[in-house]
Amino acid sequence: MAGLKVQLLQYQNFLQQIRDFFYEKKVTEVKTSALLSSPISDVYIDSITAIVNSDIGKPKSLYLHTSPEIEMKKLLARGSGDIFQICSVYRDNEQGKQNYNEFTMLEYYRLDFDIHRLIDEITELLTSLGWRHNVEKITYHQAFMRYAGFDILRANFDTLKAIANSHGLSAEFHWIEDLQMFLFVHLIEPHIKKYPACFIYDYPKQQSALAQIDGQTAKRFELYIHGIEIANGYQELQSAKDYRERFANELAKRKQLSKTVSSIDEQFLIEIKDDLPFCAGVAIGIDRLFSLIGL
Amino acid sequence: MAKYSTTQFKNGLKLMLDGNPCSITNNEIVKPGKGQAFNRVKFKDLITGKTLEKTFKSGESLEVADVMELEMQYLYSDAKGWYFMDPSSFDQYELGTTTVGSAVNYLVEQDNCVVTLWNDNPISVTPPNHVILEVVETDPGLKGDTAGTGGKPATMNTGVVVQVPLFISIGEKVKIDTRTNEYSGRA
Repeated sequence: MAGLKVQLLQYQNFLQQIRDFFYEKKVTEVKTSALLSSPISDVYIDSITAIVNSDIGKPKSLYLHTSPEIEMKKLLARGSGDIFQICSVYRDNEQGKQNYNEFTMLEYYRLDFDIHRLIDEITELLTSLGWRHNVEKITYHQAFMRYAGFDILRANFDTLKAIANSHGLSAEFHWIEDLQMFLFVHLIEPHIKKYPACFIYDYPKQQSALAQIDGQTAKRFELYIHGIEIANGYQELQSAKDYRERFANELAKRKQLSKTVSSIDEQFLIEIKDDLPFCAGVAIGIDRLFSLIGL
Repeated sequence: MAKYSTTQFKNGLKLMLDGNPCSITNNEIVKPGKGQAFNRVKFKDLITGKTLEKTFKSGESLEVADVMELEMQYLYSDAKGWYFMDPSSFDQYELGTTTVGSAVNYLVEQDNCVVTLWNDNPISVTPPNHVILEVVETDPGLKGDTAGTGGKPATMNTGVVVQVPLFISIGEKVKIDTRTNEYSGRA
């Protein structure tokens, strides 16, 4: 029993340190709904459907949030200012040693921050949680130049297919971004493992997700700790028009893969019609972080 | 030929990769937050013995390799090759130099070895974990040294050189661990 108590207190202390970090910086803790009326539109993230109110004759489908992003952005649009949230999130069709259908996420947004300022602050957060190792920071482009010897931003789909074939790998992908990710997993991640902590930033524009695009790159970053993906952050899109475009694009891809396709979350687009403030946001998997921070 | 999908991948599974039979030694699923799932797989090429690392999209499949591991008795060798017998069928198999590989260092007549067959052809042989070999050449050791701290090289009757304790002399039989090529005791 003593061992369990120690573990529980360690986790409590870990959460308390995160909260203290944000309280100190006047970032407000929020709690948003986990049951949503629209599923996520991402091509490779699946919402878990919850059918409610069947026994009272009013059955309807709701969706467990896969991250609190949409609901927190509604708050940002309504003028919340800097906010953070620690919550359980749920994803269907997860597989792998590091993946679960439920995990704990720290999601936070900082007004007037660009991704570099946010990366600096995450580094500061890691330090406050006891991280004592170096934190590397390289662009997606640099990582490919250094470890694979080619220019990922200039390589077109056919070039990447030829590179995949030259490594004896399959090149059968629908979209260039999937092949970029595949080559990243095969050629780059084994090298990233050597760094205790490493931020990769300025992703190819095809992997923009919900990040702002500037030329060939998206203002997006990820944090890897001992080669394991811990965080994903963006210079957030601001206009409803941009969001509609990105959602439509992802939903079209889901359709092409014969996955379940929902309609666009119009309620969200209505709520942000006056634009999100300029801000950067990040999602951090804190179960993974908790297990790695002491290493 | 049967195929196995990445969802069925597990250690020890024998699959065809680039025309050679391979055995999975590690299978790791990687799912990027924003991407599809991949399997990062380590293989041992059963013919060359080399380790290969490949990544697959989850859902890709590979052909099964018709590979069997049979316990066989090592009979003898001659100028043409090494001869093994399947004790259940009494079938004899002739293995060439490249197939026998480094196992040649530990082949003792009558010992049971594991012979790997691919499409019924021998592709490799694994000797027992421990074999008894005879020392045919070594420097005289210091009398009274039984701690075995120093050690010295000794050539065995198979030709392999093993570090043995100083007190071991020519003509003695010793037990060798074939996985590490280390002395593990007097026989």
